[in-house]
Amino acid sequence: MIDWPAFFVVLVATLVAASAVVTLYSLGLRLVDRSGERHAVWQRPMGIACFVACGLVVLYGVYLVIPYFHQ
Amino acid sequence: MVALVIVLALFFDFTNGFHDTANAMATPIATGALKPKAAVAIAASLNLVGAFLSTEVARTISGGLIREGDGGIQITPVMIFAGLIGATLWNMVTWFLGLPSSSSHALFGGLIGAAIVGAGFGSVDFSVLLSKVVFPALLAPLTAGLVAFIAVKIAYAVTKKRQRNGFKHGQVFTSSLVSLAHGTNDAQKTMGVITLTLIAGGFQATGSGPEFWVIAVCALAIALGTYTGGWRIIRTMGKGLTEIEPGQGFAAEASTAATILASSHLGFALSTTQVSSGSVIGTGIGRKGASVRWRTAGRIALGWLITIPAAAAVGALAAFVALSGTAGVVIDTVVAVGVIVGIFVYARRNRVDARNVHDEPTVLVRPKRSRKQRQADEKAARKEGSAS
Repeated sequence: MIDWPAFFVVLVATLVAASAVVTLYSLGLRLVDRSGERHAVWQRPMGIACFVACGLVVLYGVYLVIPYFHQ
Repeated sequence: MVALVIVLALFFDFTNGFHDTANAMATPIATGALKPKAAVAIAASLNLVGAFLSTEVARTISGGLIREGDGGIQITPVMIFAGLIGATLWNMVTWFLGLPSSSSHALFGGLIGAAIVGAGFGSVDFSVLLSKVVFPALLAPLTAGLVAFIAVKIAYAVTKKRQRNGFKHGQVFTSSLVSLAHGTNDAQKTMGVITLTLIAGGFQATGSGPEFWVIAVCALAIALGTYTGGWRIIRTMGKGLTEIEPGQGFAAEASTAATILASSHLGFALSTTQVSSGSVIGTGIGRKGASVRWRTAGRIALGWLITIPAAAAVGALAAFVALSGTAGVVIDTVVAVGVIVGIFVYARRNRVDARNVHDEPTVLVRPKRSRKQRQADEKAARKEGSAS
């Protein structure tokens, strides 16, 4: 009656995507923050890289939304 | 008749728009990431754009729920008309109560009711109803809730307290993504209804897609509805369920967007409304110190439960009257317009709009206040004012 395999795929995909976005953005916030006590040189570029990666995941979402791109 | 159905369908599209603004924009408004007016403007334009981006109209608007076509029943414009009345009126009632409920379910419900009256119980495929509507409705909030719970745990584990305001900037993007995804889905329903009616009325070739003007007016109707903003529902979702911090809002929106996109691309369709309510509750459970108002959540769940039967009942009644002939259709129209205007007028008595959307609702939006209560409330408010 109910398509459990399909549901399971959806659940896993959702979990991975949402966790990826949230983790990357949170890491970005943490690394970019300058008010902390210790601050290494590599932190800020890394933080920006996290934001960029997060943006790419979101752009992939936009790509999925627009059927024109993948038909 | 065809013109009447088109007008009604567009009005349904409009109610769909203002019902669903909350799905994307309740959380950024609640956290202050976006100003209320700016939020609805973004949502409206993305809905407009979204409606043009994707025009894969479902051949059967009911998705197999109603046995239409060869060997099944013939859906007539009168039945679509009655179904739309059921769906629209139920959307108005739930909006008035500030309940986020699924507009698709209202549409299905209305059409089911009309089909039962028009063609008997055999016209509805109840196994499809269970597997495509009822079970997904249970799974949607659970899935989104679980994902949002995990997402908010991650967000709060990684960041320090003073850094969390930064989530507000992210919220702008995630909520926009939810809006866009919503726009590509929801205007399609109305386009499908109108196209089906045009085909049934013999104005369009069978099997052809929607005309450009249909796409354009549907897009405009849903965008206008979104811009008008279902402030009552936004308040319920943003303030009524749990108190939302930026990190939570970000996690909730990311989960909503991920769930909607994954489900619509991997073939297990879930309702946007139910997904985003589930996400908000999930983040409420996941963040330490946040509490979920289960009473409100319970009321919302109850609303979901009765959406299909209620819309079906109204649709059935409308179909019963409409099938009696032209006079019946006229009566239906007059009554429906009367009820809609009545609800709008009645709703003005305690308005919720961009200005007071941040107020805490006590028990959702209180539908009715007696004069005595109101006087007492005003007295209390004055007292508070003079004390502070």
